[in-house]
Amino acid sequence: MYGKGIAKGLWVTLKHIWGTYAKDIKKFPRRYAPGGIAKRTDYDLYGLFTLQYPEERYEMFPRFRGALMHLRNPETGEPNCTACGACERACPHGVISLEGEGKGKDRKVTAYRYDLGRCIFCRLCVESCNFNAIELSREYELSRYKKDFILELDDLLKIGDKYGIHKTGEAWGVTE
Amino acid sequence: MLKTETITINMGPQHPSTHGVFRMVLTLNGETIVDLKPMFGYLHRGLEKTSESRTYLQAVPFTDRLDYICSMSNNFAYAVAVEKLAGIEVPLRAEYIRVIMAELTRLVNHMLAVGFLFNDLGAWYTPVVYAFRERERILDLFEMASGSRMMCNYIRPGGVAADLPAEFLPQLRKMIPHLENFVREIRFYLSDNEIFKARAVGVGFLPADMAVAYSITGPVLRASGVKYDVRKAEPYSIYDQFEFDVPTQVAGDVYARYLQRLDEMDESLKILRQAVERIPDGEYATKVPSRLRPPKGEAYARIEAPKGELGFYLVSDGSPNPYRWRNRPPSLINLSALREMCLGHKVADVVTILGSIDITLADVDR
Amino acid sequence: MQVLDDLWIRIAVWFRGLLESFLPPWAVQLTMDVLGILLLIVLGIVVVLAFTYMERKVIARVGDRIGPNRAGPFGIFQAIADAIKMLTKEDVTPTNADRWLFLAAPIVVIIPAVLLYAVLPFGRGMVGVDLNIAVVFVVAMGGIPILTMLMAGWASNNKYALLGAFRTVAQLISYEVPMVVALLTVVLLAGTMSTVGIVEAQASFPFALVTPVAFVVYMLAGLAELNRTPFDLLEADSEIVAGYFIEYSGMKFAMFFLAEYINLFMVAGMITTLFLAGWQWPILPSWLWFLIKVVVVIFLMMWIRATFPRFRIDQMLGFAWKALVPVSLVNLFLVALVAKVLEPGWARTGVLFVSNLALLAGAIAIMAQVARKREERARAAGEAAIKRYYGSEVR
Repeated sequence: MYGKGIAKGLWVTLKHIWGTYAKDIKKFPRRYAPGGIAKRTDYDLYGLFTLQYPEERYEMFPRFRGALMHLRNPETGEPNCTACGACERACPHGVISLEGEGKGKDRKVTAYRYDLGRCIFCRLCVESCNFNAIELSREYELSRYKKDFILELDDLLKIGDKYGIHKTGEAWGVTE
Repeated sequence: MLKTETITINMGPQHPSTHGVFRMVLTLNGETIVDLKPMFGYLHRGLEKTSESRTYLQAVPFTDRLDYICSMSNNFAYAVAVEKLAGIEVPLRAEYIRVIMAELTRLVNHMLAVGFLFNDLGAWYTPVVYAFRERERILDLFEMASGSRMMCNYIRPGGVAADLPAEFLPQLRKMIPHLENFVREIRFYLSDNEIFKARAVGVGFLPADMAVAYSITGPVLRASGVKYDVRKAEPYSIYDQFEFDVPTQVAGDVYARYLQRLDEMDESLKILRQAVERIPDGEYATKVPSRLRPPKGEAYARIEAPKGELGFYLVSDGSPNPYRWRNRPPSLINLSALREMCLGHKVADVVTILGSIDITLADVDR
Repeated sequence: MQVLDDLWIRIAVWFRGLLESFLPPWAVQLTMDVLGILLLIVLGIVVVLAFTYMERKVIARVGDRIGPNRAGPFGIFQAIADAIKMLTKEDVTPTNADRWLFLAAPIVVIIPAVLLYAVLPFGRGMVGVDLNIAVVFVVAMGGIPILTMLMAGWASNNKYALLGAFRTVAQLISYEVPMVVALLTVVLLAGTMSTVGIVEAQASFPFALVTPVAFVVYMLAGLAELNRTPFDLLEADSEIVAGYFIEYSGMKFAMFFLAEYINLFMVAGMITTLFLAGWQWPILPSWLWFLIKVVVVIFLMMWIRATFPRFRIDQMLGFAWKALVPVSLVNLFLVALVAKVLEPGWARTGVLFVSNLALLAGAIAIMAQVARKREERARAAGEAAIKRYYGSEVR
């Protein structure tokens, strides 16, 4: 019958309107997810899907690729980086530039510049690293008030202190 | 005496429904299209030339950015091309992972294509929001596996970047019935809609012979009734081990393309079910040196990307950088028939037809 | 109950008494009139605020979203925030625009919208003017926005705006015809042109039950008159960007916006008045009944907007001239005949209801036939092309 499609469409959208309110009522007195960490929704066609971002957020997957971070040696507290330059060569965009001093086992990184504004978070630098020195963190709120998107070694170590505990490498199957 | 004039309208580059920065110079007689000239290149980033100064591995993230909706398929096509060039064998598990990812990508692309088609038709965001909801769930899977939602950079020459995380396959198993429900709901919601049919049936007709003459591929070609799918015609990866049909339509209009996409989603889900059942354990990648030096020669590899045939043509001169890095984007070539489809229709049909071809401007302009 | 029912009238009477204690009669009349007009204008703005909020919420809920929820509790101040944003935006006049027309259009568009409120019966005895030709007034005032839209489209010196204006004129004039015929049907049944009289004539049966065809036709024509989906071609976002008001910004744009929502309330109010028995129906106070019915009608419109795509201009005009006009004319004839033969009552209502349903079914069957022909043609063209490509056999 002509007009059936129209009725079907209205029925589907009505079910969706109802579904959102049904889910609202279940949540009723509480507006946001407890602790600000929202659970990813079940596989359901109906019900609210909105994540109210600043108040609640999802927990990142272990492999999430955010800003670069530098890891420290847990015993000495020194950066793991030996300034071998593998990440610099692996980067498709020339985001990383570094300097180091010393020879062989004593080689240490002295300066490490990471241009966040140009980084495409491809993780090729991390894959090239043989010293477990760098990793991508879960930091994703990367906007700045200034155009200065260049992070120095200290900033990267700071991010590493914050997110290094997640052991991102293990999620990627790195066994070192 | 009354006299009438044609008017010329620049549709785009800043226009809500050109799917990016795309310009169509329309010559209108009233509301009827007399002439249409597509203009593109606003999003040209020189990816092909840039990639020629990078190593084979470094170019993988660039392929993500060709067609940003289906980054996994782009990775896939490029990986297949490099493997053909360098003669790399891929472990079976990696092939299965690739197929799973490629079919999930096809689902993402087709649901977005249907959703945005309805946006162009003026259905106030509702179908596209439903599509986006399911897309987010699939992108969650991508993020779980590759760490990034859109720019996955996951399928690499030699295999994939890392093995699937432990919770991926159970999650996917739970998701497949849900996606089937979703496709069913979309069919129920939109397929019979009289307004949609009035807008879509008979509009943007592309005859089968003309489609072949323009070398159109993908859902647009199959909607015109030509049964051609690279997965069947020239099976790559392990597609010859799966059971699936190549659905075709007859009418070759906007409505047929819409139905075609839904049918293909069903087929993709069929493949996914089989792949999830049969995926073996084992290695996820062959070790490939990061500065790969393929032997001198050239290779062209093509896959059935969601939008059509996606090919990569690579020429190696033995150095770590490709001598020539060429990409055959399905969007650009499918777009070439736009004028033929639009002539004689109304302004409102242009956006519908453009939406039904389903282009990504990043793929057109590269 | 009676107190609640008369609430607003009692307030008016009390206030008039208060004024009479210290003002001469002519001044009392003047004050009351001015206050009434101001009240209606304020009502118009309140309506806009309320229904923009409602529209956004409904569309959001259809899409599994929450909708505005930042400004105030549940986002109820969102509309006010929008208004402040509109007011503080830069006011741009395009260089080659027809300056005076460009300025005049947003002002002219809002006047008829507000004027229409004068004849809308909000409750028992609550009507601005009980005009004996109120229906004619509604039709006449409803015609003015067409002119302003053409003014705006022409003055903007923009091709999209001009296309939008073309579409406007074609669409609104086409839909005026079935709308008026549907109105005539109601007038025939009620035997009066006064809106109050029409509401009173529906004491036993709402006209939506008596002539469903007229109701449906009026509803569709009303949607078209309001430029709402599936007839929102004038401002088709995805085709001609925003149509005739593409060049307007800031407060001038807000004027068009205001007019749109004031008209929305007006058309919903007219549907309520003409077909849903206006403020009648028991238990609740009359003005509350009116408000409930209006909100239900508006929800229906928003629901339709959130669900469907839009028609194309030629299909839409075709729909008006080939479907709505003949159907409503047949219906008018039918109603005239039955109303002449039968006295008002159950028999007349029954006969009209059944014959209307039959008419509706007939019209739908013809439309289905046309649609099927179209599909068959498209399929045949496709099959021919496939044959051309594959040689003789198909697939």
